[in-house]
Amino acid sequence: MCIRDRTPPPPPPAAPTPRPSRPGRLGRSRDPLWRAVALLDVRPARVALAVLLGVLSLGSAVALGAVSAWLIARASQMPPVLTLSIATVGVRTFGIGRGVFRYVERLTSHDVALRGMANLRTALYQRLAVGRPEATLRLRRGDLLTRVGADVDAVGDAVVRGLLPIAVATVLGVGTVIAMGLFLPAAGLSLAACLLLAGVVAPWLAARAARTTEQRAASARATLSTVSLGLLDDAGPLTVQGRTPQELAALREADRELASASDAGARPAALGALLGSLATGVATLAALVLGVPAVQAGTMTPVELAVIVLTPLASFEAVSVLPTAAIQLQRSRAAARRIMSLLDSAAPDEADGAPVADSDPARTALPGHASPQHDVPALSARALSCGWPGRDPVVEGLDLDVRPGRSIAVVGPSGAGKTTLLLTLAGLIPARAGDLALDGTPVAGLAHEDVARSVVLTSEDAHVFETSVLENLRVARGDVTPNEAVDALERAGLGSWLAALPDGVDTELGPDAQSVSGGERRRLLLARALVSPAPLLLVDEPAEHLDSATADRLVRDLLSQRSERGVVLVTHRLSPLDAADEIIVLSGGRVTGRGSHTALLASHPGYREGFAREHEAPEEP
Amino acid sequence: MKPLDPRLLRHARAARQYVALTVVLGLAVAGLVIAQALLLGHALGSAVQDGASLDDLRPLIGWLVLVVAARALVTGAQERYAHRAATRAIGELRAQVVERATALGPRWLAGGEGPRVVTLVTRGLENLEPYFVKYLPQLVLAATVTPATLLVVLGLDWLSAAIIAGTIPLVPIFMTLVGRLTQGRSERGLRVMQRLGSQVLDLLAGLPTLRGFGRERGATRRVRELGQAHRRATMGTLRIAFLSGMVLELLTTLAVALVAVAIGMRLVYGQIDLVTGLTVLVLAPEVYLPLRQVGAHFHASTDGVAAAEQVFEVLETPLPERGSLPCPDLRAATLRLRDVSVRAPGRDVLAPAGLDLELRPGQVLALTGASGGGKSTAVSVLLGLLRPDTGTVDVLPSDGPAVPLADIDSADYWRQVSWLPQRPVLEPGTIDAVVTGADADASGRLTDATRRDRAAALTGLDEVVAALPAGWQTLLGRGGAGLSVGQRQRVALTRALLSDAPLVVLDEPTAHLDAASEDVVLETVEALRREGRTVLLVAHRASLIALADQVVEVRSVDVPADADLPAEADAEALR
Repeated sequence: MCIRDRTPPPPPPAAPTPRPSRPGRLGRSRDPLWRAVALLDVRPARVALAVLLGVLSLGSAVALGAVSAWLIARASQMPPVLTLSIATVGVRTFGIGRGVFRYVERLTSHDVALRGMANLRTALYQRLAVGRPEATLRLRRGDLLTRVGADVDAVGDAVVRGLLPIAVATVLGVGTVIAMGLFLPAAGLSLAACLLLAGVVAPWLAARAARTTEQRAASARATLSTVSLGLLDDAGPLTVQGRTPQELAALREADRELASASDAGARPAALGALLGSLATGVATLAALVLGVPAVQAGTMTPVELAVIVLTPLASFEAVSVLPTAAIQLQRSRAAARRIMSLLDSAAPDEADGAPVADSDPARTALPGHASPQHDVPALSARALSCGWPGRDPVVEGLDLDVRPGRSIAVVGPSGAGKTTLLLTLAGLIPARAGDLALDGTPVAGLAHEDVARSVVLTSEDAHVFETSVLENLRVARGDVTPNEAVDALERAGLGSWLAALPDGVDTELGPDAQSVSGGERRRLLLARALVSPAPLLLVDEPAEHLDSATADRLVRDLLSQRSERGVVLVTHRLSPLDAADEIIVLSGGRVTGRGSHTALLASHPGYREGFAREHEAPEEP
Repeated sequence: MKPLDPRLLRHARAARQYVALTVVLGLAVAGLVIAQALLLGHALGSAVQDGASLDDLRPLIGWLVLVVAARALVTGAQERYAHRAATRAIGELRAQVVERATALGPRWLAGGEGPRVVTLVTRGLENLEPYFVKYLPQLVLAATVTPATLLVVLGLDWLSAAIIAGTIPLVPIFMTLVGRLTQGRSERGLRVMQRLGSQVLDLLAGLPTLRGFGRERGATRRVRELGQAHRRATMGTLRIAFLSGMVLELLTTLAVALVAVAIGMRLVYGQIDLVTGLTVLVLAPEVYLPLRQVGAHFHASTDGVAAAEQVFEVLETPLPERGSLPCPDLRAATLRLRDVSVRAPGRDVLAPAGLDLELRPGQVLALTGASGGGKSTAVSVLLGLLRPDTGTVDVLPSDGPAVPLADIDSADYWRQVSWLPQRPVLEPGTIDAVVTGADADASGRLTDATRRDRAAALTGLDEVVAALPAGWQTLLGRGGAGLSVGQRQRVALTRALLSDAPLVVLDEPTAHLDAASEDVVLETVEALRREGRTVLLVAHRASLIALADQVVEVRSVDVPADADLPAEADAEALR
């Protein structure tokens, strides 16, 4: 849906080259539901146990019905009481067994599903983590919200509310039909027909109804969640612009569409429910109509007549949940399709040689995958072109060398492709042309982790996690001590901010760091880059949202940590760039100037002009 | 927990009609269940005991066919309307929650409520569907079928009725007991699950960042741990939640078993006839069936009820009082902040602290100061989106006494304001419509075109539009999707220029722009000044600050964690 695209435009879907399917249990299946269920990685023994318990529980109910029918019919013939004692004990036992088995069954099946969901979440995360970076870069929070949360739940529900009840109903239905058939074959057949009506036709109708509803409701639901997110995210601006009523009207309109969609599905759903109820009644009637002549003909005893007439009432309980199960499978399949397409879009292209998640051990053995030397890492680009896959390159013909002790600033107008350049240098999107090498090894041939050990990127839209300040810094290095954290925060100019936090570095930051101002967020990201152990830092606009004095101090400090690290810095501010070893001026996708600050002031008119503009106005009073 | 919260009926009109329909159908079901049991008992009894032939049973079977058909129709009708009513009721609640949350304002949403409300609106509310579709009808049947069938059993056989009547009170007693246990855990469970869910999402949202540091693999363990914690939390809730189901099943099936045994024993001694016995045997499970179904859907309903509780929590959060006075004409009125302080949420800081400013008509005023000093908060206060913790905000008309901003009708005030927030918010539509604020088919749009183009030339939007294939008719998605942030900024600037609002508020308009594009902003501000409009700027860059007629520095002050907000005297000292 083009409406929800973000600034980095989505790369086109992966080239439709046929890819050998990954081996694994059920992995070859094309049905997304089975592929996702395979990712749940549930243990067959646990599933079998859950089915067994379900059959025992509902079987107790059917047995209770049959035995009490027998008991009463037999008792009416006034036999000696002792002949009834086994039946009376059986009735009580089945009465207890039903509830107890049901409890254990529900716990077992939910445990199976929850374990599976945890596995699926982990697998999802794992595959995205090693997959094509651009697939994750373009995920939006709103999409994630529906995708990961609801979709994983829906796949788990496929087990508890879909597959297990179907298995239980099948076993139980076959068992009951055979038992009834032993008394009177015709009664067994009519019960089988009614069970099929209630257990196959009714669920099919219910699923069709749900599909109709969901197909018609899909766009309404998407609008609903976009509009509600927009309304809640931008409550202030929308209120002031006076547009809240329009947006609320759009929300109500989407809800109305949803209601009319559910109306469209209601007809087949009603028919399904009607048939289910009809089947139960007809099974009883049929047993009566078939049984009475059989008793008169002497092929069946009157007591058995009571059993075959009254047992079907209980046996429909198992199939009564099947319409819900069918709907659940359908919902789960749609969710599974979204999950699998997300995973497929993130799956590394085998052609470009990027490492695949589950080929870890093999990777190191491949030629060209040697680890880079770590003593003097140097990143060098020759005639490099950068751009999002499937789009025109935004930067072309760039040469760049950075190693510890050297600082490079990249400047240029908005949209000059500076951020794309950094993503390319960090190896997060593939270079479009030219060479990019880390210590002489092409970056494209290196595992991402090996690149990240030497080169670390802090992008301007980097994520601040919903955890403590300290843990947010530990994103860069797992063993950052509180003292190191304080040091880094102070260096990033956050000393007084830190002092005002109620729990210091252990203060929890709110969701999406909304309680942190724009400038504080930038400096927090900078502090995170500072604690990183990587010798080469790529930093995107650290000084945005800062007043000019603070901004310049920060940039200068960052550029002048010569001995420790190499720095490539993208910035708008020109004033502090006297601290940089080299400045690269980008314009129109090409390098229009490079050299030291003084050299560029002398030789590059655009640079001079920009610098002058920063200085023509007096600093703030 | 109330099984049917009257607030639900109050807030959702669709729910009221639905409950009424369900009650009518429930009464019909009660009648049909009883008829079916009596007919079946008679037919089977006479067949077993008296060896009746099919011909003898013909009238009974005829009636049975009718009853079975009628039951099927009633079941179909219930299904026909249940989903529709649920969708409508959920829609009504959703709209009300979003409306309320929006009215409660950005600060309330930013205080952690926003994402929770989003989860509630997109996912939590859906839990009400099983509540409406499955739980509520069974609740109604429990109130109709159960007593009606019990009465019939009493008429037939007092001992069976006594056994059933003896166990039925145990059902609500145990349900309440278990429900009490469950409620706290279920609510806590929901919260824990929400938190764990949002943490997994947080990790996924931050995946590009983790990759930037090559740390994405380390978080896999965290995701697995969160998944396991989620499972443990859920299983803990379920173990107790399912107990109620088990107690119900045990009580009801055992009671049916007891009734069957009691009837059997008396049949042996001829104390009861077979027809009565069979009828009671068929009826006994029907007495309990609705109760069992209520129990079976109890778990589904607790999620729905917990979601409903969250809805009521939002709906019952009191709104800040609204002013009703008309807003003075801002072309001639001054806005005055006196000693305004706002406590930053979750931090021991007043930002801004003791802010004074006077924004006179036609002036350009720049707010400066260190990041985190409260500049954007000051803007929120001035816009009336946020009440300061201390201090006053007044509008001073050219002729007349000062009016507190809080007493002014906000809508009337905002009509005179054009605000460009840090991240511009654009409505969906063509660029032309967004900029001119006109519908595509509004008359008089053509006469505006020259003015529009002049403004666009000033803000540099003309270049953006020229590069787009559809030009001015390019459709923007919600939030301006389709344009870069810088381009969106230009659209927003052009709109501010074209609006007639006397007060224009620009929050860091040069962010996202480089030095060359910054000129655009400077020229825009100049143009606004020429038109005699009042401009409030939040500015970092010296070039922008230099444009201002008045520069006010916004500062923050640390306050001890446990201190109350400063009284007037303390505020004086703080300054």
